[in-house]
Amino acid sequence: MKTFINKTDSKLTNLVAFDDMILTTELPTTAGSKMLDGYVSLFEAEVVNKLKKAGYNLAGKVNVGEFNVDLMGETSYFGAVTDESGNLVGAISEVMKDTDIVATIAVDVNGAQRRAVMATDLVYLKPTYGTVSRFGIIPTACSGESVCVIARNASDLEKILNVIAGHDDKDGTSIDDSRMNSEKASAKAIEKVAFLKDMFAISEKDACEAKKALESVGVATADIDSGVLSKAGSAWNILMSAELTNNVSRYDGVKFGYRSSNYTNIDELYTNSRTEAFGELLKTAILYGSEVLSTNNYDKMYDKSLRVRRVISEAMDSIFAEYDAIALPVASKKVFTAKDVADNAYLAYEESRFTAISTIVGLPTIVKCGYQIIGRAFAENALLDLLRKIEKEGA
Amino acid sequence: MTKYETVIGLEVHVELATKSKIFCSCSAEFGAEQNESVCPACCGMPGMLPIVNKKVVELGMTAGMMLNCDINRVTTFDKKNYYYPDLPTSYQTTQLFAPICVNGTVEITTSKGTKNVRIKQIHMEEDAGKLVHDDWTDTSLVDFNRTSVPLCEIVSQPDLSSAEEVVAYLERLRSLLRFAKVSDCRMEQGSMRCDVNLSIRPEGSDKLGVRTEIKNMNSISAITRAIEYEVARHIDALETGSEELVQETRRWDDIKGKSYAMRNKETAGDYRYFPDPNIMPIVIDDEWYDSVKKTLPEFPEVKKARYVDKLGLTEYDADQLTRSRALCDCFESASATCGMPKEVANWLISDVMKMLNKKSMTFDMLSLDGNKLGQLIKLVEDGKVSRANAKKILSIMFDEDINPEEYAEKNGYIVSNDTDQIASIISAVVAGDPKAVADYKSGKEKAIMSLFGKCMRELKGNCDPQVLKELLIDIVNKA
Amino acid sequence: MEKEYLIKLEKVNELRLEDAERENVLAFFEKRAEDLASLEEVETSNITRMVHVMPITAGIREDVAIKKFERDDLQKGAPETTDGYWQVPRLVE
Repeated sequence: MKTFINKTDSKLTNLVAFDDMILTTELPTTAGSKMLDGYVSLFEAEVVNKLKKAGYNLAGKVNVGEFNVDLMGETSYFGAVTDESGNLVGAISEVMKDTDIVATIAVDVNGAQRRAVMATDLVYLKPTYGTVSRFGIIPTACSGESVCVIARNASDLEKILNVIAGHDDKDGTSIDDSRMNSEKASAKAIEKVAFLKDMFAISEKDACEAKKALESVGVATADIDSGVLSKAGSAWNILMSAELTNNVSRYDGVKFGYRSSNYTNIDELYTNSRTEAFGELLKTAILYGSEVLSTNNYDKMYDKSLRVRRVISEAMDSIFAEYDAIALPVASKKVFTAKDVADNAYLAYEESRFTAISTIVGLPTIVKCGYQIIGRAFAENALLDLLRKIEKEGA
Repeated sequence: MTKYETVIGLEVHVELATKSKIFCSCSAEFGAEQNESVCPACCGMPGMLPIVNKKVVELGMTAGMMLNCDINRVTTFDKKNYYYPDLPTSYQTTQLFAPICVNGTVEITTSKGTKNVRIKQIHMEEDAGKLVHDDWTDTSLVDFNRTSVPLCEIVSQPDLSSAEEVVAYLERLRSLLRFAKVSDCRMEQGSMRCDVNLSIRPEGSDKLGVRTEIKNMNSISAITRAIEYEVARHIDALETGSEELVQETRRWDDIKGKSYAMRNKETAGDYRYFPDPNIMPIVIDDEWYDSVKKTLPEFPEVKKARYVDKLGLTEYDADQLTRSRALCDCFESASATCGMPKEVANWLISDVMKMLNKKSMTFDMLSLDGNKLGQLIKLVEDGKVSRANAKKILSIMFDEDINPEEYAEKNGYIVSNDTDQIASIISAVVAGDPKAVADYKSGKEKAIMSLFGKCMRELKGNCDPQVLKELLIDIVNKA
Repeated sequence: MEKEYLIKLEKVNELRLEDAERENVLAFFEKRAEDLASLEEVETSNITRMVHVMPITAGIREDVAIKKFERDDLQKGAPETTDGYWQVPRLVE
């Protein structure tokens, strides 16, 4: 059981930690996989670069589930992180406990980080897709994955966001600065929040606490039906798996990383290396991703999901015509146990129904106390303002 | 006996003439040491993102314009998945859903006349790496230098019906693409190669027969042999039932003169294409479109006609020059400088082309500055430099960037107009050869030529021959 | 989905599962069929696909070649190299 996969000199100050999907040159980057055990990148992620330039020091690399697609890190080659009572705790929250690490920077592919902080005092921010460079991120599901920040309060989130946000020529999906700035400047404050009542209905978390907190800072709340938003998990499962299949096909034992010692020809080299190095959830995801892209299924599965993504995006637009943000729980349960994932290795594919809503369309999201609040594109500052107000009220 | 007709469609890959690769900044030049033109992206390492090379899109557009295609103003990239050691990411980034060009035509001329071959589409994609097979260690060695070098794949409709047409089509593509500087189309270096899709059917039938694809052909003569072999094999299979034809991918063995079925994974079939999430749509606006359109060259035959009609060249000379865009460019700029196109054509055809041949360079490799060639020709025509010395200067201009006039001055190649100086040199030569003078005076007119040669040598060729001759006769007569 | 089909899918993806794993995967695929059924309820016939969530156009770069990495560094973590090449078992065409 490891929280840090690798650590730097503990005497440093002004520390930030990175999850092990973010490439660093001074420490290996493993993606939580045997395939990349000990792999050292020749170049650094843009977010690392930017934070170093701003005077932050690298605390170390935080354990992640294999390629970050699992529930809470339980599929890491280096072991799941659990507490004494067998509850799964995210490596991120353990790393942030009792240290002076300002923040952990991670890659949110399928919501693992949101679930990792839901039962803690930590707060989470996923900025709008395209505002933070993905250069130097080990890719899993590029169309929706996003760099996210985990910290203790709104002001630390904002401090880090101000450093890492901005255009990057090395990322072709990066938004240019003038657009980003003008969009951010015109973002509206959050005054009305829509609660997805059917999502609360299937969660242990109820809406009361969150509504009270919002109302205490003068925000109006209302219940709405999630409608097509409830399909986000199913669509994202398909898109994510397909992109994952493609992105991890590069790991074949030829160029770098793990190679099986048991082979006599190229096919055995490929198959044995991948079979020995990948975990069960990842293999399953690869097979599913490959299936949804096959000629027979492409239209009814992959292309269908791309269209549903558009329908979801348009549904979001109409919600945002009336409300400034959308609130929903992070997961179906307040706590997940090691037994939960032992009984169902594929829980992440069920829980994605909560987290994929903002992932599939790349919208900014904050998490506090097990609730997610999703804002309009480029509304991260409005979300942070809201968070700051709630913190002030002590709610 | 049944008469058969052959139905052929071609997929031609040309390597685009760029300095860098399609999605990363590694060099795309041919001939580097193994794995010296690679970066983490080219060897499949995670974390780099593809950034499209602008020049690739422009060359793609250019190719489409040369082949009368419609240009898709919004063009996108897709990923094609298969495992093979020369493909470092195990996917190739290519274009399936919205290729850069669609619906073109190419006119070809064969012994049967002219014919239009329809182009289905042109798409941009990345090349794979290279495998070297090592028999000693029984291993294959992987070189990623060619990985991600930009390619255009030009896909024709099945409009070709013979090896002769295929050759005419390939020659035509090569000529047009070289003229537009899209690619150097050198088959021997692999910068042009093609896959031949072939089937046969009874003449007049509208049903297509079983199709085989011969992959990766890179020589015109081998293509001809492969097509003839395949046609014979298909007919034999249909006539005698010697084998059952199946739709498959085959490789041509030019040494054995046979094609054989490929069994490797490349032919597995379902490539599981999907749109690339990391490459946003490329939008070609009017401004960009027009700026590329402006760079298009005249078609070779249009140029040729203009050279004959407007510039007064012979058919032969015009034909020679229009074999290469580099020759045409040099010719046009030299003619503009000196105003003597016929002279320029003579220099290019008799001297420059010979020099290129001597150095085993292709005409397209000519890097001579046309403006300076024009200056040199003008020096000759103005009588400032002798023709013989101008040839010496030309050979220097091949390798060095010199100004012909300055160079002539510095190296004593300027024709002298100083008749006193010329006369004194003549007098010295005449005084040194009384026998030649006597011979001339006794009626042996040829004797003057040996004196003339001696004088010219003394003058290092820098004298108007007419002036020299007149002065010499004058001085000899007086001697 | 049948086991035979799954084995084919494994081959395509250069993987090989144990029989026990296959049972889990087949169960997973069945579960995903529910995902698909839920998507089929959404009317999408007049909807264009959404590949990219941000409606921006591609950032492109000028054609300039830059060498930033050395071969030796790129091959440092390689399982097997020789003479500047990556090395694999001989391929039969």
